[in-house]
Amino acid sequence: MRYVPRSPREGINVSDEHPLKEAAVLVVGLSFLFAIVMLSLVFIVDLVVVAVSPETEARIFSGWTPGGIVELVDDDSRQRAVAGVLQRIETGWPDSPYDFRLLVADDDEPNALAVPGGVIVVTTGLLDKVGSENELAFVLAHELGHFRNRDHLRGIGRGVALAIFYAAISGGSGGADIGIAVADLTLRQFSRDQEAAADRFGLELVQAEYGHVADSWRFFERLRDTEAQPGIMAAYLSTHPDTGDRIEDIRRYARDSGWSTVGRTTPLDW
Amino acid sequence: MGLETIQLVNFLLPLGLLVFAYLLGAWIERRHYRDILAREAGLRSFPVVTFETLPDNWQVESVELVSGSVVISLDYFKRVIAGLRALVGGRVKTYEPLLDRARREAVLRMVEHAQANGYDAIANVRLETSRLANSRGDGNGTAGIEMLAFGTALSLSRR
Repeated sequence: MRYVPRSPREGINVSDEHPLKEAAVLVVGLSFLFAIVMLSLVFIVDLVVVAVSPETEARIFSGWTPGGIVELVDDDSRQRAVAGVLQRIETGWPDSPYDFRLLVADDDEPNALAVPGGVIVVTTGLLDKVGSENELAFVLAHELGHFRNRDHLRGIGRGVALAIFYAAISGGSGGADIGIAVADLTLRQFSRDQEAAADRFGLELVQAEYGHVADSWRFFERLRDTEAQPGIMAAYLSTHPDTGDRIEDIRRYARDSGWSTVGRTTPLDW
Repeated sequence: MGLETIQLVNFLLPLGLLVFAYLLGAWIERRHYRDILAREAGLRSFPVVTFETLPDNWQVESVELVSGSVVISLDYFKRVIAGLRALVGGRVKTYEPLLDRARREAVLRMVEHAQANGYDAIANVRLETSRLANSRGDGNGTAGIEMLAFGTALSLSRR
């Protein structure tokens, strides 16, 4: 028997494909796949939301308060005044199927929430910051816009869809991070569109009540002046439109609709 | 320093780590392959075979158990890509060169040991792999793989 000296043969056990090519195919392909899955989930959620009538929603959430999510305060002296503004704004939406309730949450961050069952929550931080009734009216009207578009239910439905999606792919480990990133970004884009739609409806209500839309975006200008300016990337990641863009959009909508942006504003005396 | 900055950092940090891990891992892999090829060329004439029964005309003077072992770990890039691959299935191409290097390195260490001790050949060569559990102790995850090559080194008077 003869031993033939030779080196091991190459290309049998190791693929000669460049690792970056495999990485690119996997990342792009899976991102695409995840985006499609997420968009279908959003579509299904929207179908379900439309199928749930406001009456059914009210029945499910009657007597429920969002005490679990926010810390509610029931002795804020400003609550009655805010509820009064809400009541007047509401008349601009006569066929509203909701019986709205206004609650105040103890939080320094200025914020307002639309909660299932016709509950609007405003934070003490928001009440501290608003400068006039007109500013407050637009914030409340914006939340009414969310109710009209059923965004509050969509939000919950999408949260559930995201949780299911996460549970499904985290079983496969490594892909979970990229899946979540794609799903999250997909949802945020939707969320920004919803905010813009709610802004426009809110502006209509303010115009109907006051006959002008002066001070409507004043509150956002206040926020913009205090917040740091986000970069392009941060704007893409954000759930709400960039405050500057948002003010611009609201302004344009008011101008295109021919509404007066000047008028007598009502001061808040609290 | 708002929420958006934190999100941005959360997004860019793994990305930077991925690029860093790829560049470093690719450099180490290239260097290791160069080294393997050079050593293999030098040891080409040393017979390393898998048969258990020796040919009748081999006159064996002495024998010894020889082994070569390598412990390898994954880099972050390979781990992430393999994780994505695990979602859809298929050849885990990023792991293949890693294990190929480990096999050849283990055999080379075994042969170098045998040659240094004056042997002429190694018969009945076997390769074994075992997984090292990581320090978390929950049995999940892998700290690395050991690749073990072993065989019977032979000192021959005639072949």
